This record gives sequence, C-alpha cells and structure tokens, in this order.
Amino acid sequence: MAETTVTQPPATRRLRDYGVYAALGILVLYNLAFTENFATLANLNTQLVQVTPILIAALGMALVIGTEGVDLSVGSVMALSAALLPLYLGYGLMPAILVALLGGALCGIFSGTLVAVVGIQPIVATLALLVGGRGLALVLADGRLKDIRNPMLLELGSGSVLGIPIVVLIAACLTLVVGFLVRYTTFGRQLVAVGGNRSASVLAGLPVRRTLIVTYVISGVLAAVAGIVATARLTASDPSAIGQLAELSAITAVVVGGTPLNGGRVRILGTVAGALLMQLISATLIKHNLPSSAALVVQAAIIVVAVLLQRPRLGGGG
Amino acid sequence: MTAASPSRPVHLGRIVGASLCGFALILAGCAKSEETAAPPAQGTGGAQAPVASTADGPTCTITQYGGTQLDLKSAIVGFSQSEKEANPFRIAETQSIKDEAAKAGVKQLLTTNANSQLSKQISDIQDMINKGAQALIVAPLNSDGLEPALSAARAKNIPVLTIDRKVNAAACKDYVSFLGSNFVEQGKRAAQQMAKALNNKGKVAILLGASGNNVTTDRTNGFVDELKASAPEIQVVAQQTGDFARDKGQQVMEQIIQAQPDINGVYAENDEMALGALVALRSANKKPGTDIHVVSIDGTRNAVQKVTEGELYAVVESNPRFGPLAFQTLQSFLSGQPVQQNVVISDKLYTKDNATAELGNSY
Repeated sequence: MAETTVTQPPATRRLRDYGVYAALGILVLYNLAFTENFATLANLNTQLVQVTPILIAALGMALVIGTEGVDLSVGSVMALSAALLPLYLGYGLMPAILVALLGGALCGIFSGTLVAVVGIQPIVATLALLVGGRGLALVLADGRLKDIRNPMLLELGSGSVLGIPIVVLIAACLTLVVGFLVRYTTFGRQLVAVGGNRSASVLAGLPVRRTLIVTYVISGVLAAVAGIVATARLTASDPSAIGQLAELSAITAVVVGGTPLNGGRVRILGTVAGALLMQLISATLIKHNLPSSAALVVQAAIIVVAVLLQRPRLGGGG
Repeated sequence: MTAASPSRPVHLGRIVGASLCGFALILAGCAKSEETAAPPAQGTGGAQAPVASTADGPTCTITQYGGTQLDLKSAIVGFSQSEKEANPFRIAETQSIKDEAAKAGVKQLLTTNANSQLSKQISDIQDMINKGAQALIVAPLNSDGLEPALSAARAKNIPVLTIDRKVNAAACKDYVSFLGSNFVEQGKRAAQQMAKALNNKGKVAILLGASGNNVTTDRTNGFVDELKASAPEIQVVAQQTGDFARDKGQQVMEQIIQAQPDINGVYAENDEMALGALVALRSANKKPGTDIHVVSIDGTRNAVQKVTEGELYAVVESNPRFGPLAFQTLQSFLSGQPVQQNVVISDKLYTKDNATAELGNSY
C-alpha cells in the first residue's frame, strides 16, 4: 500500500484523502445559504435517515473493496432480506430478523467461497448473486409488495430515541464497530494485508481464505441489515424496489470516500462522508425543484474525479 | 487479480451452492407470515364490465383490414402480457382476459408473459401465431419495437388488438384497434378533485411517474392544463419523479415537505407513490386528509382503502379490466361489423362518498 502513495504528490494525496470532506462541507454551506428550511433538526434527520440503508451497505462494501474485491450482490441481498422478513414475522420480530441476517450471511459464504476457494473473480462471483438473489427474493415474495403491520418493526423504522431516529443510531453503531474492526483488530490488519498483496499474504502464512470469506459474510450481513432498515422505513417489504442499484451507490460512496479500488486500504469515515455527499447532492436538487436525473450526472462527475485522484500519478498517462 | 491461492477441488463451491438452494427451499417451507386481516377476494371487480365511452372516431372492418369472418367460439385467441403479473394492475388485467375468454367460450386461449423483455414479447407473439392463434390481444411493453411481431400477424391477416399501451403504428392497417384509458383525461380528473379539495387555492407538489414514459407525460399535462384552465390560483410548486415506486415516492416527498412545508396538496401519478407520500407526510407530522390533500391515479385496493380512511382525498381509476371490452370488440370485428379504432375504457372515480361501497371493485 505504501508504494502507491509515495509516487503521488502530497497535494493530490491530500485531495484524495480529504477531498470528500471538503466537498461535503461546501455543499452543506451552499444549502445553509440557499435552501429554505435546511438548518432544521427535522431536515438533518431526514437526510441521515434516507442515507442509512446505503451507508450500512457501503460499510460492508468498503471492507470487500479493501480486499481488492467488489460485492455486486448487496442490492439483491437487501431485497432478499426484505423478502424474508415478512415471511417469518409470524414467529415474532426477532426470529424474522435473525432469518433475514442468516440469509445475508449465507449469501456472503456463497460469494466468499467462490472468491477465496474456487478462485473466481469477485466481480463475477458476486454478479451471480446480483442476478440470482433478487430472483430468489421475488420468488419468495411472490413478486409482490407486502405491507408490514408488526408494530415493533414499524417503530424501528420511524421511532427515535432522544430525538435521534433509531435507524440512524443503528447506522452509527455499525460504523463504529466496522471502524474498530478495521483499525484495531487482527482481522482488520489481515484484511488490509490480503487486499494490498495477496501473494505475499499467502507466503507470510496469513489465513487468506478465511479472511476473504469472513469479509464477504460481513458484507452480506450488513446488506441484510440495510434491507431490514429499508423495509422498516417503507413500512412495506418491496423486493422489486428495495436495494435497486444499491450496489452502485455503495461502491460510489466507498470510492468517493477515498478507499482505492485496488485494495489494501479501508477508509470508513471517508465512506460515511461519501454516502452523505451523494445523499446531499440528490436532496439539494430535489429541494430546488431541479430534475433529479441531473443528480446522476453530478454523481458521475464526482466518481470520475475520485478515481482520477486515486491514480498513482495524476495525469501520468499510459 | 492474482490467483495466488493454490486451487482446491472445485466441489467445495458446488456444496455451498447446493446448500444455498436447500436453504432457500427450507425458508420457503417453514415460512409463517404475519397475521393480517384476510384480504378481500381478488377479482370480484371482474364482474363489472367496463363500458366504453361512446366515441365517434374512425372505425375498422374486417374487409378493410383483410382476413375472413370467424366465429369467436371456434377461434384460438392469443394474449401477450408485457410485464410479470406482480403488480395489481397486471394481475387484474390478465385475470380479466382469462375470465372473459372463458365466458365468451373461445376454443382456446393462449397466454404468454414477456417479463418486461421486448425480444421475448416479439417471440411470444410469433410463437402464438405458429401455434395457430387466429386473433391476438397484446398488452405492448413499449410503444415502439413490436413491428416484427405485428408484421408476422399482418402477413397472416390475424387481427391484433392492443390494450393499455398504444403502439406507434397505423390502426386498421398494422393492427386493428387500441383499447385503453385516456391518460390525459385521468390527469384532468385528478386536477378537478384537487381543485375541489383545496377550494381552488393553494400550493401543490406533483410526484411524477417514470421519466420518458407517455403515461407520465399525459397524466402531467392533463393535470397541469386543467389547473391552469379551471383553478389558476393553485400553484404547482414542485415536480419530482418518484418512478411510480413507493420507496422513491416516500423519499422525494420527505425532501419536498421539508423544503416547502406550506404545500396543501400532493398529486401522485400512481397509487404506489401516493402510499409512499402518506408515510412521508405522517412522519413529517402532517395529517393527510386534514393538513394536506393527496390525489392519485390507479384504483388499487390499498389506495381505495386509504380513501375510505380519509387519508387520500380521491383516486382516479385506471381500469385494467379489458377482458369484456376486448372480446366484445373481437366478436364484432370477426363477424364483419365495424369497430372503433380507438376504444376508450371508462375509468371510475373513488372519493369518500363511494369508496366504502366500491372497495370490492378496486384491484
């Protein structure tokens, strides 16, 4: 990991590492100045609540990208968990959530095994689940949207503690846990090592396969949590809409947040800022009654800039 | 990526794959859904034959189109559905065609579903022609792109009725007739309800359907033009797409209601977005039906239920029950009588006055 950074001029490196915070800051200032009713607690809550499913999925995505992989299945795993939830609410909320999380974990075992043991490229291994996962979700749900009536699940989606929405608290806790995992645990070190140089990690005797599988399992479970949160928020399980294109939003948040696509580095706080930045861009356009399809163009431009900044030498050419 | 790890026997992956499938089966097997109130029996509305509003447009006869007269009872009819029967509209539409085919006593009804793939719809139609279909009812996936299928039918003088979406082709030449709702009119009726709800004065937000869709364009134009004409003091202050989806409708509404807390009305171009908007409004501490009035289009069971509860002000129906009208049109056409090239299906209106009584007719 160190060898890529030394070839970059320090200014570029700083922009790559802190650019997302600067962009977020500028956008917040713009909105404070020009958007009506922006500086309200209700608005802050709305933006945080809306970003939670993508943020939670992006945390897992950051870990996978840190191993030089990518998990294209997170959107479909969200749909799968959304589809499983109402099927098991008859046993109570906890069992239903456990089944949904188990579904996510199994998806992670599936892609993790394909990547780590069979040796299939992550993009292909998870593409299989991207297609199959949503298909399975639609089959389980009979293709239909189901209204949720479980009062505890509805409370999870709309309730708040001390003025902070419960889903935001969940996202905050998960961010702390994943951040801690990356920075202070052996697993985190191994993950970064595997992503930085897999051959060297194998030679050094690191548990490469286990690390990879565990990483994909974490991503699957987090995607399942994202699906549960999205369902609770919508007050309905809608496997055809929930998680649609979430994998791309998650990848965007991670990349914009400064985690390089070639692995060996995980930036959790940057990912949070990246997700918030994307959320705020689309919110700004909606609040100013501009066509929200324009948000896609702006987001694309930001992704290009972020990826350019990650190149070993800016403008170095071929 | 470097394949540094020495490859182990591949069957490990297979085992995982197999166990995942097994897991799926178990999941489906021991599922236990949340106890919910038993939904009213589906398809009760099928009994209500939609009456075509009388139109004096151009007509078409079998001699103009080409082909030979036929008794519907001895005919094989093919029905090509465009999208998976996952949403209430498609479920009701297919059911209505099947029910009416049975009622009309056609010899055989072939049904296909294109699952939202244009190429599949084309091959579906060609397959049905090869299987001997003598008349076709097509719910087109798209206004364009079905030409190969239409010309295959044309070559054999097989009459084609298109329902719910119109194709960009010549009526009575490339196909016989189009049966559908007038989407502009739906928008107008929604505007009239909005004007009534707001006493001709106020600020309104529009949740648009998917961009680039003619249903969206028509429902928007009908609504905006009618407001300009009959309630100019109602201002449209926000227009944002909710992609006809509940979650997008909810998210967009949350943003709009915070930026413009003084709006009095929301026009959702389908029921799903309206249901999403209701969740958003409630969580913004607005009381739908009191502080803010929501009008939408479709007539699904869930939305009409909300009308009975007073949360939705009105729902303009988009009638999916094409069966009676389609077979009636086919019958007339095949027996040599002229039929309208554009048959407009009549759409109901659900308001608090009739929603409880009409709930069984929603879909």
